[in-house]
Amino acid sequence: MKILITIFCCFLFITVCNSQERYLTKNGSITFYSKMPLEDIKADNNQVLSIIDASSGKMAISILMKSFMFKKALMQEHFNENYVESDKFPKATFKGSILNYDAIKQAATKAKVKGILTIHGISKEITIDANFTKTKETVEVNGSFFIEMDDFDIEIPAVVAKKIATKIKVSFNFNHKPYKK
Amino acid sequence: MKIKKIIIGILVFAIIGAFVAYKMYNKPHVNVAAASADISLTADEILNDFSSDENSANSKYLEKIIEVKGVVSEINIEKEKGIITLKTNDDFGSVLCHLSDEATKKLNLLKEGQAIIVKGICTGFLMDVILVKCEFVNQ
Repeated sequence: MKILITIFCCFLFITVCNSQERYLTKNGSITFYSKMPLEDIKADNNQVLSIIDASSGKMAISILMKSFMFKKALMQEHFNENYVESDKFPKATFKGSILNYDAIKQAATKAKVKGILTIHGISKEITIDANFTKTKETVEVNGSFFIEMDDFDIEIPAVVAKKIATKIKVSFNFNHKPYKK
Repeated sequence: MKIKKIIIGILVFAIIGAFVAYKMYNKPHVNVAAASADISLTADEILNDFSSDENSANSKYLEKIIEVKGVVSEINIEKEKGIITLKTNDDFGSVLCHLSDEATKKLNLLKEGQAIIVKGICTGFLMDVILVKCEFVNQ
């Protein structure tokens, strides 16, 4: 009986440990920006889901395409209907791992994140630099990188092709908190 | 004389065309506060629909104005914008309502455990059903 209780306690302890090692945010933000002669294109998404598994340094991000908010309603419509086809591909995802996760200390640390980014149904391996700040209660990640629209088969209509840059700057900021359930 | 008329005609046409194009380019976003909801249901129902069949729920709810009835389980403010979590029967999922600027101002009147109705645009499902540009209904 005692052994049983001990085993049970061990299991309990392990599960408690595991659950504490996951960090999550449901309102991470992603912004993309592209300079255009007439007007800059900018969109924010503040509903990004990002999870870090602290034991393995793995990271998973899910993004709803329809959550990108533009200043102009027409731009938002075009983005969803013509560019990323968000009815067909409602989500973009990133699955990867933080290289050298254990080296991240309390002060801001630069680390590389390598993984697979899927947008518009096309997956591509990317490696990006990100800044990490780890405290007892939070893991904050931010940074920015460029993506090529061609890489994800995003077609730009010929009429506007000259006006839209094919390289788009993507910035991100996630403030992860320990996941409790 | 005839040429003059034609020129004036073209000019009028061009001005109207430019005006329409300008109007279209500056088309405003949907005004959630003024619009009536396309679908109204409870937090449990919408989460159930999404967790049982996400694809059909996507085509049913996305970009529509949804009125959701539920009980507040969490109130957060992130980047000066209010976020309300509505409780559901599910252990993991809930309905996340990202409030508009106006609705955020009324946030201090709200308490956890209170039953409310919110109206917003559904953008999809991650771990939770997400509504953006939410407004309070009859408070």
